[in-house]
Amino acid sequence: MGSYLLRRAAGFVFVLFGLAVVIFVIARIVPGDPARIALGPLATHEQVLQLRTEMGLDQPAIIQFATYISGVVRGEFGKSLLTNRQVSRDLAEALPATLELVLLTLILMTCVAMPLGMLAARRHNSAIDNISRLVSLLGVVTPGFVVAILLQLLAAETGRFLPITGRLSPDMSFSADITHLLVVDALLRGRLDVAGDAVLHLILPALALSTAGIGQVMRITRSAMLDIARREHVDTLRSFGVPGHVIALKYMLRLASVAPLTILGLEFASLIGNAFVVELVFSWPGIASYGVRAILSKDFNAVMGVVLVSGLFFVVANLLIDMLVGVLDPRLRRRA
Amino acid sequence: MTALLEIDNLSVGFTRDGETTDVVRDLSMRVEQGARVAVIGESGSGKTVTMKTILGTLPPNGRVLGGAIRFDGQDLLTLAPRDRDRLKGTDISIIHQDPLAAFNPVFRIGTQMDDVLRYADARLGQPSSAADRGDRITTVLRQVQLQDPARVRHSYPFELSGGMRQRVLIGMALLHRPKLLIADEPGTALDVTTQDEILRLLDDLVAAQNLTLVLVTHNLAVVRQNADYVYVMQHGRLMEHGLVRQVFDAPQSTYTRQLIAAIPPLYGAGVTAQSGRGTAKLIELAAAAKHFAAPKRWFAKPPPSVMAVRDVSLVINRGDCFGIAGESGSGKTTVARMIMGLLAATAGKVEIGGRDIASLRRDPAFRRRIQMVYQNPASSLNPKRTVAQMLAVPLAFAGDTAHPRRVAELLAQVELPPEFARRYPHELSGGQKQRVAIARALAVRPEILVLDEPTSALDVSVQKTIVDLLLSLREQLDLTYVFISHDLSLMRNFCNRIAVMWRGMLAEQGQTDDVFDRPVHPYTRALIAAVPVLTEAEAARKPQITLAERRAVLASTVE
Repeated sequence: MGSYLLRRAAGFVFVLFGLAVVIFVIARIVPGDPARIALGPLATHEQVLQLRTEMGLDQPAIIQFATYISGVVRGEFGKSLLTNRQVSRDLAEALPATLELVLLTLILMTCVAMPLGMLAARRHNSAIDNISRLVSLLGVVTPGFVVAILLQLLAAETGRFLPITGRLSPDMSFSADITHLLVVDALLRGRLDVAGDAVLHLILPALALSTAGIGQVMRITRSAMLDIARREHVDTLRSFGVPGHVIALKYMLRLASVAPLTILGLEFASLIGNAFVVELVFSWPGIASYGVRAILSKDFNAVMGVVLVSGLFFVVANLLIDMLVGVLDPRLRRRA
Repeated sequence: MTALLEIDNLSVGFTRDGETTDVVRDLSMRVEQGARVAVIGESGSGKTVTMKTILGTLPPNGRVLGGAIRFDGQDLLTLAPRDRDRLKGTDISIIHQDPLAAFNPVFRIGTQMDDVLRYADARLGQPSSAADRGDRITTVLRQVQLQDPARVRHSYPFELSGGMRQRVLIGMALLHRPKLLIADEPGTALDVTTQDEILRLLDDLVAAQNLTLVLVTHNLAVVRQNADYVYVMQHGRLMEHGLVRQVFDAPQSTYTRQLIAAIPPLYGAGVTAQSGRGTAKLIELAAAAKHFAAPKRWFAKPPPSVMAVRDVSLVINRGDCFGIAGESGSGKTTVARMIMGLLAATAGKVEIGGRDIASLRRDPAFRRRIQMVYQNPASSLNPKRTVAQMLAVPLAFAGDTAHPRRVAELLAQVELPPEFARRYPHELSGGQKQRVAIARALAVRPEILVLDEPTSALDVSVQKTIVDLLLSLREQLDLTYVFISHDLSLMRNFCNRIAVMWRGMLAEQGQTDDVFDRPVHPYTRALIAAVPVLTEAEAARKPQITLAERRAVLASTVE
């Protein structure tokens, strides 16, 4: 298991390096001079040249890349043209907001979708099963932004139970400086009022972000449970009189959870992508909306920072999932 | 004598798409206390469904349509569900058939046994402590002769050999010393030597603990060794029952007679000895070896390469029916794949018709000369194509353009009616599927057919028809067969020469009669001795070898 993780981690370093190369090349290919865009049409030719030298754009591409990579290794992505601050500082603010959203979404997907999937499998072909299949299909086919806007409208119509924009009510002041996750930090500091308010703010965006995933995970859990119910080892336990709930919750669930967990790992990438729309609708100050603004203004340092950090999180999330799956299924551990 | 189990006119049906079909019809059966009763039948006979009805584990679409089952003075079918559940794993236990599939793959053996024991204790109103259960599990594992119970308990199913898993399954059924022990095809999924060990163990345990045994099997020879009374079932009906000796010596029903006749004898007048057709050399292996290198990995020790086959030399003549016998892992399939040119020899050489196979592997003309028939026609046929479509592929490869006529001709060769050309695999029985697979191999007019266990997925009565077909095709088309099998009785009647493989090497080879009548290699002797046979006369002619001798042979190392 140890050498397996080491190999996986080494592989991931290569993946991230490849990602850096691809993004770097794309950034150089896209037409338009970042220095000119940063300074605006009124700047003189000399001013642009000077900025180019400052930014290192007059160096050969290979040198630029080397400088860039050595910065990345130290956690430096350079300066953002958009905010005129270090990209790493921007990311440190935007990333936790998105992470908080994505984590809650993943929790929703696991804790709502998997039990629903199990229930549907247990009562398969019943009304519950059919309704949940229909709902999950709706969830999968409805675009995230539609769900986001519908939820927002609904919340606005039915009174102000749930806040519809931002991370925290304007009258609250709190600085999350431990883990940078609002809810976690508020709990750590004993500020229950802040934590409660932050959770209320999270609910709608997380719901919007999780609808597609919930449907998918539910369907996969359902079919995995149905498949396993037909296996002979389930029959063995049944013929020895082991109670049905033990068979389902202990023996079948462990086997059936491998497929949905793997899907969750893959979902992670699309979650960050989908987060953009959701963040826009709910005015959520996260990394996805930051990334889009960076792209539109050809702020390459910021773009590369966003891509590499999302890539890193995708890779780490999948490594964690792999470890979890390895714990659940000893055969995979041994094969590795 | 008191009956422990009595079944009266039991009928069981399965409902699919609103339609109920009988799978067991008017079955009556009586099992005395302490008896060893066998229920024999082929697939679809209803024997497994009957056992599930006794246990109360019929699937949701199965239903008892009539009749009664009395067990130990209680009417099982009218018993309250709670009382019924109390019997499971305590008074009535079952040994499941497939020792791998019967275990949950991601839980340790100990965990699974502990849960079985724990809930059985709880149902009996005798809750037990974990330590107490651990001791009882260890005791039972010792009873089934597992040397290191602690290690077995701590192992995952995939870490144990098939024989060990089968022992654990037996142990699991004995945790509560059942009044009725049902054994569903014990050892069938295992090698013949391991199966023999398992059957002996089962018999010893039944005798020692004075258990009542119901043995469900398709193997008549196993019935003779392990039961006193037999019920013969076909298509859900009871065909015949009686003392084993009576039924075997003077079968009353036609079906029983067919079943007995379908079993290839190992010795005696019934053996159909095959002969060769001259000495023209067709296939030659000279000191051929194959080892598989394990894939290299970063940061990990390179695993040792696996020697699948070493130093195999043999000559197969034109017109031979050459058998390669061996148990799983013996290297017989690797040899077959080397002959097919699907695997390249790591050392030594493989020649077909005097030419090195290494130079022939990509030669289409060579491909036409040698074809293969696989073990399981259910997976070797594409379920989405009709028979005609499947036959069209090799016909096109052979440049045969007159398809429809050739398709009909091929079907006639394997004795199938021409209208089968339009059928899909799911519309065919197991035997018919294997005939189609043979027709597909014959489409390119090959000289050599490599037959990889072509009958082992089929019922005995169907097996016989396929073997007869293969024998007559050999005559008609002047074919040479390479026959891979673990079934020594079958090879005895099908092959004129035989090679016995053991741990990647040739233990022995020669004329089939010689190998069976005068086996030289200790492994060959052990292997033949383990084959279950139908009559005392045959049992007497098998090589006589004690259990200790056999264990010594099987445990000995190659080096």
